[in-house]
Amino acid sequence: MKKLIINGGKRLTGEVVIGGAKNAAVAILPAAILADEGICEIDNLPEIEDINCIENIMKTLGAKIIRETPKSVIVDPRNVKSYCANDDEAKEMRGSYYLLGVLLAKFGKAEVVFPGGCAIGVRPIDQHIKGFEAMGAEISVEHGIIKAYTKGGLKGANIYLDVVSVGATINIMIAATKAKGVTIIENAAKEPHIVDVANFLNSMGANIKGAGTDVIKVTGVEHLKGCYYSVIPDQIEAGTYMIAAAATKGDVVVKNVIPTHLESVTAKLTEMGVDVEEGEDSVRVACNKKLKGISLKTLPYPGFPTDLQQPMTVLLSIADGRSMVTESIWESRFKHVDELKRMGANIKVEGKVAIIDGNKNLTGAKVTATDLRAGAAMVIAGLVAEGTTTITNVYRIDRGYEKIEEKLRGLGADIRRVVD
Amino acid sequence: MTERHDETMSFKFQPEKNNKTRTILNEVYNALKEKGYNPINQLVGYIMSGDPTYITSYNNARANIRKIERDEILEELLKNYLEK
Repeated sequence: MKKLIINGGKRLTGEVVIGGAKNAAVAILPAAILADEGICEIDNLPEIEDINCIENIMKTLGAKIIRETPKSVIVDPRNVKSYCANDDEAKEMRGSYYLLGVLLAKFGKAEVVFPGGCAIGVRPIDQHIKGFEAMGAEISVEHGIIKAYTKGGLKGANIYLDVVSVGATINIMIAATKAKGVTIIENAAKEPHIVDVANFLNSMGANIKGAGTDVIKVTGVEHLKGCYYSVIPDQIEAGTYMIAAAATKGDVVVKNVIPTHLESVTAKLTEMGVDVEEGEDSVRVACNKKLKGISLKTLPYPGFPTDLQQPMTVLLSIADGRSMVTESIWESRFKHVDELKRMGANIKVEGKVAIIDGNKNLTGAKVTATDLRAGAAMVIAGLVAEGTTTITNVYRIDRGYEKIEEKLRGLGADIRRVVD
Repeated sequence: MTERHDETMSFKFQPEKNNKTRTILNEVYNALKEKGYNPINQLVGYIMSGDPTYITSYNNARANIRKIERDEILEELLKNYLEK
């Protein structure tokens, strides 16, 4: 079993380069299968387990994947003949559900195993199914496999999403690229990775307008071609390092970012007393004073991202005064709190709200990464804590953070990975 | 009130603002075109959503587009369209 061992108390300083966006890459990579001619070269992929996983699933469908560099692959979809992604590996990650949209668009039918991913609450895919059904697919779930069939392919439709869902927005958008006619997605999510996926599909010849707004219009096309595409930087990885820099009273330049995507994090850190300086494609985070507690609520983009709520609770635990965190996206995203309490944090959870009494000196302990972002929170807690912290279930962190210990060591952290 | 006529002063003229917007839009347009995008679609996407993901980082286009506000871009575009 892999573990991370952190000797805390080191101030982070220097520069860290952010990788490609996980949540964009896990949709862009399978969407490359849609090319009717040519190959796709996809660059700036994050070096994370979820990418390895989606690549393996794509290979089982017949795609040829050539890894050019650790961050770049060529996808040759000419031999993709299968519409069934029911391999066990697909159960391991949430993003495997994008294969439903991809295979429906390509073959008019798809069979994909029910997706896995982090256990952070009920994560229904009803909005995806609602969209596919509106486009003419008949959907059933049998033996853990989602089966979607059409008579002669998907047809454009008007789809109003009952809840703002990033996954459903992307999945319906992908499926609609080759549907007959026009698809309108209303109440769409606006996250940057939705724009990135739309950019990629448009580079292949799709006709998508309005991504990044709450109404997306997709005019179906008959033919898509291969292209070169570079994935945008990961706002969540960037935000995690910004929070880590503030928590350790450090001075860190986070490079290869789009500062606009980090505005909600910047605003909250600034409110706490952290100095954040925006560059053209970087942010500098410096902190040399006691921080103050704040209230925050997670919201769909451009609100504060739920994926950074867990790392923020660590920072709020060491800030002065009382803070209140409201998690409005997922219902079980405070599982890390019990782990943080082992380290001395004073947090009370009531439903979707966590009350944090700050100004606590965290102390090292044996803790576990209960999910991906909880794992990142544990790492930050370990960096701040007095003494040694051992984090288990590191595979959950590896799903979404590339070379985390290498990047942190580059900033001066005392962190190492051990295998039992 | 003391009047200080001997100091260098700078004045902003409207044509200068117009030129800056035009220069940046041209640079961004060319960068998008060189990278194989449909520049008009990408610029419309940016103006509508405000998300710089629409603009390539090639030739510093993403940083340059942020030097002008979206409402200023739209204002210049409308003026140029309607006043011609």
